Amino acid sequence: MAGLFGGSALTQARRALLSWLPFVAAIPLLWLVQHFWAEQPDWEYAFQNINHIGIAIILAVSLNLVNGLTGQFSIGHAGFMAVGGYVSAVLLLRGPAQDPYRLFFIASIAAGAGAAALAGWLVGKPSLRLRGDYLAIVTLGFGEIIRVIIENTPLFGRAIGLSPIPRYADFTWIWTAAIATILITKRLRDSTHGRAFLSVREDEVAAEAMGVDTTGYKVRAFVISAGMAGVAGALSGSFEGNLSPQSFTFVRSFEVVAMVVLGGMGSITGSTIAAAVLTLLPEYLRALASLRMVIYSIALVVLMLVRPRGLLGTREIWDLLPWRRGKGGPPPAKAPELSEALIDVRHATIRFGGLTAVCDFSLTVKPRELVALIGPNGAGKTTVFNLLTGVYPPTEGSILVRGRDTRGLAPHDIAHLGLARTFQNSRLFRELTAFDNVRLGCHHLTRESMAASVRKGELAEVEEKWITQRSEELLAVMGLLHRRDDLAKNLPYGEQRRLEIARALATDPKALLLDEPAAGTNQKEKSELMQLIRDIRDRFGVAVVLIEHDMKLVMGVSERILVLDHGVTIAQGFPREIQTNARVIEAYLGEKYAREHARQIAAGRVQP
Amino acid sequence: MAEFFQHIINGISVGAIYALIALGYTMVYGVLKLINFAHGDVFMIGAMVGWYVARWTGESRTPSIAGALLVTLASMLACAILGLVIERLAYRPLRNSPRLNSLITAIGVSFFLEYGGQYVFGPNPRVFTVLPRHPGLHVGPVSLGYVDVVTVVVSVVLMFLLQRIVFHTRMGTAMRAVSYNSTVASLMGVNIDLVISFTFVLGSVLAAVAGILYASKYPSVQPLMGLMPGLKAFVAAVLGGIGNVPGAMLGGLVLGLAEQIVSGYLSSSWRDAVAFGILILVLLVRPTGLLGRGEAEKV
Repeated sequence: MAGLFGGSALTQARRALLSWLPFVAAIPLLWLVQHFWAEQPDWEYAFQNINHIGIAIILAVSLNLVNGLTGQFSIGHAGFMAVGGYVSAVLLLRGPAQDPYRLFFIASIAAGAGAAALAGWLVGKPSLRLRGDYLAIVTLGFGEIIRVIIENTPLFGRAIGLSPIPRYADFTWIWTAAIATILITKRLRDSTHGRAFLSVREDEVAAEAMGVDTTGYKVRAFVISAGMAGVAGALSGSFEGNLSPQSFTFVRSFEVVAMVVLGGMGSITGSTIAAAVLTLLPEYLRALASLRMVIYSIALVVLMLVRPRGLLGTREIWDLLPWRRGKGGPPPAKAPELSEALIDVRHATIRFGGLTAVCDFSLTVKPRELVALIGPNGAGKTTVFNLLTGVYPPTEGSILVRGRDTRGLAPHDIAHLGLARTFQNSRLFRELTAFDNVRLGCHHLTRESMAASVRKGELAEVEEKWITQRSEELLAVMGLLHRRDDLAKNLPYGEQRRLEIARALATDPKALLLDEPAAGTNQKEKSELMQLIRDIRDRFGVAVVLIEHDMKLVMGVSERILVLDHGVTIAQGFPREIQTNARVIEAYLGEKYAREHARQIAAGRVQP
Repeated sequence: MAEFFQHIINGISVGAIYALIALGYTMVYGVLKLINFAHGDVFMIGAMVGWYVARWTGESRTPSIAGALLVTLASMLACAILGLVIERLAYRPLRNSPRLNSLITAIGVSFFLEYGGQYVFGPNPRVFTVLPRHPGLHVGPVSLGYVDVVTVVVSVVLMFLLQRIVFHTRMGTAMRAVSYNSTVASLMGVNIDLVISFTFVLGSVLAAVAGILYASKYPSVQPLMGLMPGLKAFVAAVLGGIGNVPGAMLGGLVLGLAEQIVSGYLSSSWRDAVAFGILILVLLVRPTGLLGRGEAEKV
């Protein structure tokens, strides 16, 4: 059939239909349920609970985006819920008395969500630079401030609250929103953006080095999550018919945190199930109502001790099912060859307090060049990498990457310019699979918007296929394809190091910085690595800058060597020149040995 | 002007209590890099134990100075044990896991104490009388409440003692070593478990005293009384520079004064927003706090 009609218009229409289908198809179904059951008096109590579950699901799944996927810790979700609820309620109370098509209701929900998202942005933008536990306190503080503001504002009814809010929200509304929340979060999680969220959780430094704008992603997660909480607040207000500041205390936020933690941080089905269970539990255990919070808290502590990632961890219920692999897609566009210097460091100096770690360092790396950086421990080699990748700005001097001054650029911007690195102590995203580690490297090459990820647009699909193909190729090149679905932390050491190289290559770099790739590997692995580095250069056309202690590897692979000692460049040149350089020998072996060695060379007893 | 001095005096009195609690936060953060969320509830348990002991000994009917001392000592002992148990059961098993897990556990412990307390004690506030009644001092139009004077004197003495312990004893040196780098400290022969337990005991004992003083000031006890002072004391610790002992004292004082001035000249209903406003401001402008020093992550 497809061959007969063949038009891409049809494919596109089909794709659009499929992408919106779950959203659209749910509404009439929900409406039928509403019509036949929810409005029957016998079912009133049951549906009241079901609706509370729906609201709890919106809250838990949205908080999971921040706490689970992005690894931040917000405990002020009730605050965002309050913002959404109150903004929507104020509008509804002042809106038209009749709203037959619920258009004004929809507008009020959107306004509530927008206000909550704005609040999320205002709180998140400045405070997400902080580490996890500080962020927790700021969100808590925010939640409390919101409550104090509400209690002091006549518009919001002060401590008494607002009522009667028109009761438009019913089963259909609440569950449509709940399903939409689940779908949006799931599609985001499965997209390249989802991997970016996860990379922030796993290792921010490595994520930046892979070109992920970590602050940007934290803020986005926060804003989206706050917006969804706003929807939950708006629906809750309209469902109950009233709002009071007492419903948005820290206890409410804590309940949502408990749902996310119990269900598994990062698991959407986990949050959904936990939301349902923790909403129903107190209803059916009325005798224990006064012990509810005691039980929650004990459960939380025990769970942290026994299963720190929650009941489902990051897995989903359906993770037991086999999943399909994408195939095909267009190959990556080849970047034009560069004639200019890739990296141009001019007289860079960096001081930490009184210590000059690197002094007056200059280095030019041309395309496809193999350069080694050697020197005794503490010579400042890794600091040079940190300067190049923007982890530290130079105190003096300048660094140009592809002709662009990198001052003021964040590490992810420099990754975009084409610099990729590995770390001395490998910094893989340990809880992600090998495949996902590499796929994350491709992240910054993607162009799809978050909205496209949610809609599953055509570009998103093409890109996703392309990423899959590219990542599998890279794994194959590194001899890691058989490890595709293993967690990075479970790989043997040598394979972890190669995976880190694969991840760095996935960013499509122009220059690859390898920080002691051979550390801790045996002789056989070292000679394999030597071959691998040459292959990488030939196959991917990248320049390689190598920090390494193993002289055999360095001499065997590099075309040019730079020697650092105490932050000062003491020699540079071809491998043979370096081997006989008196200052280098002195730096490595001491003055006495250097003199002895020179004498022996002069006497013709040893080959230089 | 008299009104202003009155606010200053109230501020110093409340600030001294915040400072006592903040010291516990800051010391635990120093050695474990953990926000001990349950610390505010240890403070509450301190007051609650005081209430029970005062009832058993008849102190609440006929308050005396000796009786008050006895009640305080009993509640210090109880809180010391509670601190030890919390650390041993909830935090020690998680010492090497991600900090988020410890934080969640701490929140769990906090809620357990609050709602467990509510279950045992009942949710309603009860009158707390431990200190003998005394009209207090009057300097012109400014009045110095008896409890305020006791609070300030006791706090100053305790802070002086703590300063001695942290900077002039072997245990204090070990605490500072663990706070600087616990791995290296253990390689140098410091018993980390002991130091951490000691830190919890020290913090909890100070919280117990703060609990008795706070409950005497308002004079009532209830199971959720630890929530707000606990959070505010944490803010005080951050304001002064978390992990920094003199910083916690300074932070407590500044916060107490700021709160009293806002509730005196603006409205007491905005009082609770002050602490969190300050917190957000500090984190934006100077995340290391007034006296703290920053450190960069090593790559």
